Amino acid sequence: MRIEYNFAFFDEGSKREIRRATLKAVAIPGYQVPFASREMPIARGWGTGGLQLTLSLVGKKDILKVIDQGSDESVNAVNIKKLITKTTGIKVTDEASEATIIQSRHRIPEIPLQSGQILVLQVPLPEPLRYYEPSELETKKLHAEQEYSGAWLMLFEQIMNYGTMSTGADHPAMVHDRYVMAPSPIPRFDNPKLNHSKALILLGAGREKKVYAVPPYTRVESLAFEDFSFEVESFKNKYCGICGAKGVFLDEMLDDLTGETFYQCNDTSYCLQRLNQESAGRGIYNDRV
Amino acid sequence: MKLDLVHDLQEAYRKTLDSMSRPGLISNIQDQASKVALEISNFNPPAPLVMVLMLFDTEVKFKVCSKREAEIAELINQLTYAKATEIENADFILVLNDADPEEFEQVINSACPGDLHDPHKAATIIIEADSVSNDRDLTLIGPGIEIESFISVRTSHNWVDLRADKNSEYPLGIDLIFTDRNANILCLPRTTQIWQEVAG
Repeated sequence: MRIEYNFAFFDEGSKREIRRATLKAVAIPGYQVPFASREMPIARGWGTGGLQLTLSLVGKKDILKVIDQGSDESVNAVNIKKLITKTTGIKVTDEASEATIIQSRHRIPEIPLQSGQILVLQVPLPEPLRYYEPSELETKKLHAEQEYSGAWLMLFEQIMNYGTMSTGADHPAMVHDRYVMAPSPIPRFDNPKLNHSKALILLGAGREKKVYAVPPYTRVESLAFEDFSFEVESFKNKYCGICGAKGVFLDEMLDDLTGETFYQCNDTSYCLQRLNQESAGRGIYNDRV
Repeated sequence: MKLDLVHDLQEAYRKTLDSMSRPGLISNIQDQASKVALEISNFNPPAPLVMVLMLFDTEVKFKVCSKREAEIAELINQLTYAKATEIENADFILVLNDADPEEFEQVINSACPGDLHDPHKAATIIIEADSVSNDRDLTLIGPGIEIESFISVRTSHNWVDLRADKNSEYPLGIDLIFTDRNANILCLPRTTQIWQEVAG
């Protein structure tokens, strides 16, 4: 049996619900707007929040890019792309600069976002205070009172225990000097890209039924202390073993045969684009090692 | 041509979202508005009705401020099943061109600004203006604006100071959407601060 789905899978009522929540989210940067999250044909925790946002946004003229942890071709990205293209017929791309909507799990592309684009981030745990406060009612109170000492204390204890802030990803950030926000599990490396972004950034958590947003040109400051500043992962003296890129987020790989450690770009389409441009002889990258 | 409830409203939504995330950016929904006008002739100019069709359904409570309030509220209810209510309880408030200035003042003063636990429950007010433009009348700063942007809103209502008072306790406040005769839309979320140049 072949089911004819509505354009962008959802019925119009579902889109309206998400659209109303999104407009409020944009008006209150960093505040988690609850919404009536829908059951999706993918499992919760696999990007249902991001998917719902994308489906509420998408139109016939859009060009979509979906990334899963830096890769355009892993299972999560491929399946989300399939669902969206089968129900909309829109074009997909791997190139970040070509896309109008970029849905991403755990990364912000290396190529800077542009003003016509919307970045949709998939969020597993939207509540930055959940680590130390299990009650939703209580965390809502803490946000209402701008009582974030627990978040600071969490970082302080990490520094005391490990000598560094041990947030591998999802380092909390203050948005527009009011709300502490979970930026989704992007590496610390990507946190500065949220600040004064040219593109609108929407974050969706399907299981937790929350939508929040960072409008363009909004101040987003990663939490840190005066005498202990926020630092991104360092890739000093390291470069991509494939394209030679420096100053990008790198994955550490281990060669099974030689036991050697090497690195490669986490953003695979960025890496591929560099290689293609180089082989096309444009030679715009002179930093190849 | 008939309004396409899927694609036309999607386009209108993206433009509204664009304007909401970049206060001062004026988007145009003339295409959708003229299609609405062909089907529903007793709502003129039709731009606010595009907003209504885009956002309203059974979940929404609304209030209309106009001399023709009863007629328009009934029309909206028939089109979307949204429920008419009092100003204090409305999620969306439509202020049409022919609304009394006193009524407008009452709308701003009584509209729900949300509360600290649920600031998203604040009202969105859709105001029909004569024209909106980027003339250098008011200066905007805030999230969504790189440095500053300029707008001019020609309306019979004196809204700038009323809005500033209402939105003085961020994150509480109201969000405004202006529409005009040419189906331009301009959004002012509660985060936007407005500076008015004083002549002299």
